[in-house]
Amino acid sequence: MEQRLANCVQLTVNEKQFIENALLSELRVDGRGPLEYRKLSIKFGKDDGSAEVQLGETRVMSFVSAQLVQPYKDRPNEGTLSIFTEFSPMADPSFEPGRPGESAVELGRIIDRGLRESRAIDTESLCILSAKLVWAIRIDIHILDNAGNLVDAANIAALASLLTFRRPECSLGGEDGQQVVVHPPEVREPLPLILHHLPVAVTFGFFSNENLVVLDPTYHEEAVMTGRMTATLNANGDVCAIQKPGEQGIFQHIIMHCLKLAHVKAGDITAKIKDAVEKHNNERALQKIKRRSSSVSVDVCGTTARLRGKQNQSGGGKDNSHLDQLKPKDEANFMECDATSSGQVQINKKDEGSKNFTGGPSSWYGKKDPYSECVNSDLLKAPMDSEC
Amino acid sequence: MESKLSGSATNLVDQLVYPGDVVLDLSSMTNQTIKLGGGLRQDSDVISVMKAGRLRFSKPNKYWVESSQKRYVPHAEDSVLGIVVDSRSDNFLVDIKGPAIAFLPVLAFEGGTRRNIPKFEVGALLYVRVVKANPGMNPELSCTDASGKAGEFGALKEGYMFECSTGLSRMLLSSPTCPVLDTLGKKLSFEIAVGLNGRVWVNASSPSTTIIVANALINSEPLSGVQQKIMAEKLLQRVQ
Repeated sequence: MEQRLANCVQLTVNEKQFIENALLSELRVDGRGPLEYRKLSIKFGKDDGSAEVQLGETRVMSFVSAQLVQPYKDRPNEGTLSIFTEFSPMADPSFEPGRPGESAVELGRIIDRGLRESRAIDTESLCILSAKLVWAIRIDIHILDNAGNLVDAANIAALASLLTFRRPECSLGGEDGQQVVVHPPEVREPLPLILHHLPVAVTFGFFSNENLVVLDPTYHEEAVMTGRMTATLNANGDVCAIQKPGEQGIFQHIIMHCLKLAHVKAGDITAKIKDAVEKHNNERALQKIKRRSSSVSVDVCGTTARLRGKQNQSGGGKDNSHLDQLKPKDEANFMECDATSSGQVQINKKDEGSKNFTGGPSSWYGKKDPYSECVNSDLLKAPMDSEC
Repeated sequence: MESKLSGSATNLVDQLVYPGDVVLDLSSMTNQTIKLGGGLRQDSDVISVMKAGRLRFSKPNKYWVESSQKRYVPHAEDSVLGIVVDSRSDNFLVDIKGPAIAFLPVLAFEGGTRRNIPKFEVGALLYVRVVKANPGMNPELSCTDASGKAGEFGALKEGYMFECSTGLSRMLLSSPTCPVLDTLGKKLSFEIAVGLNGRVWVNASSPSTTIIVANALINSEPLSGVQQKIMAEKLLQRVQ
């Protein structure tokens, strides 16, 4: 009995009274106002789909992975989504390892309901072969440090990792169109998940005095408060889910007031998540271009001349189609294929290319200009993995 | 770290030392008695460090290593803040952030008899003194000082308690008064009780003052003296 007592942080009568008294004058112990969120920071890991969120002192990590499975019988055209939570004992002395406790299951359910019921993830795009193969998305949430309000932090982490997750591209092949080829990321750029909107969870705490409402409670406030409610909304104001686990009864007008507050906060948080994801994506794109350019030591302006020059000489359609198969939006791809396919030859072509360039488009004779047209989809279907 | 041999320990006092460092070479000192505190060990002729921290010396001959932790190891004669978790017929069970729950005998109060046993509810905050603390046993507490007088010990009413590291507690109790308490005391009136077990209780007339003081103390741990003054002054300016 003593061991169990020693495991939980003890709460004093003084703290309970003080927190409620201070709230009467709209003060919270860490200096925030009652409706302010703590500092939110979102970081991403090296892998696609891993995110770590820090909300004040609370830290949560989320990781998204995907697997090909058979779909459920009653939904043969939809992919599946499952959420697993792990309350690590390093986060809080009262967390035990092993089976998830009640609060772990509740947290998983809140996030699951917010994503599933509101159909935030487009599960139909995850279907590869109807009734045979679909993608199963699995979100793993690890709590690293519990300083209050795990639900909001875990939800933000789940959303951030879903936005940065990339799944491999598949194509159907074989004689009857039933064989699925999963392309590795080096061959085909992996695809992001389609998210229609971002359901953000906002947690409210209620106290014995009915008019006191706080947003984003800390660990001590959670121990003192007598009721809680989590509202999951998106930036458009749609209410995706509401969770109120018993305890104290709340008046209807307070609940409506809370929902309005939650709408405002959801907009803020959505903007922050999108900002962080965009920054991360830009950095990744920059890194990709830098990495490839190290294999081709040229100045960028020389590339255009070189490519056009090369097209000039490549009389055969094969070389032409080879260049066309590359996606025009990613210039890095062009540079690499030049390096691999032509090898040393390209260095000589540089001079010739610049000479031919003065000729202009007339020298192309109806060969396709890879920059001005979309990629020819017929050429794309040819299995590219055999070449690269 | 390689061990540093030093004839006299003066160059290592108040420095950071690591396990394995040699701080005193006894062969060079004759006929002296040296008292060793926590974190030091005698290995035949040398005194070496067992715990990472700062080496401290107090006249005439006491050496020990001081480090800051979140956990508290109870020692006798420490003044700590305890929280009552249960009451038995002859003891209150009090949590002092140590490895084991401590016992506070119901008679360990000034003028305490079987007829006037104080009633503490679960969650009451007490300022107590550790009487006995042996490893493996539950520590014993008392609400009187060694001579039997109550002094400042007993229940703390109202106010706000927060937890911190043992290093911050020692800094707040050091004399001369640490700069953050000085700066805050010049403008605000408040009272604090500091427990060596990493708990601090603050009380003031208004909640905002209490919150300012509590936050200033929590933020002052990693700062030097001058930085503490600046931080406290900035905090006070923002409020007034």
